[in-house]
Amino acid sequence: MTTATLTRAGDAVRPTHRPGMTDLMRSEWTKLRSLRSTWWSLAAMIAVSVGFTVAACAVYTHDFTHLDAATQTEFRQDTIGLILQPGVQFASLAVSVLGAMLITSEYSTGMIRATMLAEPRRTRALLAKAATFALFVYVFSELIAIPSFFIGSAITSAHASVSISDPTNIRAILSFGLFMTAMGLIALSIGAIVRHTAAAVSLVLALHFVLPGVLSLIPGTVGKHLSAAMPQGTSVVVSSGHNAGNLYTPAQAGLILAAWVVVLGGAALVSVKRRDV
Amino acid sequence: MPKNTENLRRGHAPAIEARGLTKSYGSKTVVDGLDFQVHAGRVTGFLGPNGAGKSTTMRLLLGLERPDSGQALIEGRPYAELTAPLSHVGALLEAKAFHKGRSARNHLLALAQSQALPERRVDEVLDLVGLHDVAGKRAGGYSLGMAQRLGIAAALLGDPRIVLLDEPVNGLDPEGVFWIRNLMKRLAAEGRAVLVSSHLMNEMAVTADHLMVIGRGRLLADCGTAEFIERHTDPAVYAATPDVARPALLEEAFMRLTASAVEYSAR
Repeated sequence: MTTATLTRAGDAVRPTHRPGMTDLMRSEWTKLRSLRSTWWSLAAMIAVSVGFTVAACAVYTHDFTHLDAATQTEFRQDTIGLILQPGVQFASLAVSVLGAMLITSEYSTGMIRATMLAEPRRTRALLAKAATFALFVYVFSELIAIPSFFIGSAITSAHASVSISDPTNIRAILSFGLFMTAMGLIALSIGAIVRHTAAAVSLVLALHFVLPGVLSLIPGTVGKHLSAAMPQGTSVVVSSGHNAGNLYTPAQAGLILAAWVVVLGGAALVSVKRRDV
Repeated sequence: MPKNTENLRRGHAPAIEARGLTKSYGSKTVVDGLDFQVHAGRVTGFLGPNGAGKSTTMRLLLGLERPDSGQALIEGRPYAELTAPLSHVGALLEAKAFHKGRSARNHLLALAQSQALPERRVDEVLDLVGLHDVAGKRAGGYSLGMAQRLGIAAALLGDPRIVLLDEPVNGLDPEGVFWIRNLMKRLAAEGRAVLVSSHLMNEMAVTADHLMVIGRGRLLADCGTAEFIERHTDPAVYAATPDVARPALLEEAFMRLTASAVEYSAR
């Protein structure tokens, strides 16, 4: 029997199934895609990343014969780094702001209460948000890394050959997405802990762009190792790993980066679970 | 079998129940050992002076805050244990609890998806609250009245059996007030439990069937609206007031009851 009431046209409205993680992620995807700021920051990320790649490759290739021997060697040994690294800092800046605001904007607008009412198991709510964002950032970053690789390898082909069939290059290209995803998750975690946009963005910027410089001032090798173990220092994952100056191999850097995500992500989950909203 | 247990539980447990509910912030006890039940089929007005603990109580019922002691139960269970909670409880806590850059439709769509509710339900509630024509616009540009309507749409999205509204008529124009008043009455008439907080006495006098009054976090009264007025008005005034005008005495009754429990008062 159809029972229309004031609040519905027909029979009682029921969930079509017991809602699970995929439903939460679908919901988070709707939230993510329905904000203009998402698309603005990603458009900026593409433009600047690809632009820096083209600029750096063009400059180095053009001036190649004037470079000293050491730089020429570095160019040849880490061409993939030259291609993918120029945009890393800016792209991680864009992803960080996006990641922090993903959650701080919910706190500043009160949306967080709607989110938590819809999924009162708060760690699940945060995990769904993080997983959706991570997938999105990974795919998007690869959409930057792959074309950048082909454009960069075409520009640099006069003096160096980088092949897509080289496992080192494939690892670097796939790591670009992982690095950006980690940047996004670190920012999201900090945002979930401090809950304020300005505070979260400032902290993330300090972590990425101020602290490494400060740490490197510590005398001896300790400072340099600490500095290289900061999240931005681990961008060596987006290189051949054959540079003379590297303190950590790409594999070690990858593990250090994963540890950052696990520690900050864990802190964010505890914070969200324990504190009132 | 589980279905029977569910029905049994629903049949016996009150829509909302607080048992010894207590919450402090630092040394200040905001909700102090509240015991009450809210039942289906009527509008229960939740009254108290500013700072009496109304909003905190509602937030405790919804699991947004954890009690220091006691329990807040929805149909016999803590909110956090509900599956697809928006199908059990709909809540309007504050105007504009949405992202300003998102459209009303996308806001509701995201909520519907999280509950595995069919997408057509979004259009249904948009029609219901009269936001259909502006559903695609950024919600940040909405007037307070439109924002309240969006909040109501979100509350009714899951066709819940229990509806909690915190100060729903704040900032509304007379037409909006009239609309919400009738909405609450009809929701109750459909058999839902409606708990509505307000500090507007005249509004509650014409809307609520039942009243719960708190002051300084404690329950001061829990009875029918007419009974409340009779019990707490000056007897001489009550006797001299014709039946039809008695709802207007609610304000005086409320003042007499809460005189000692107001947090901030002009002297």
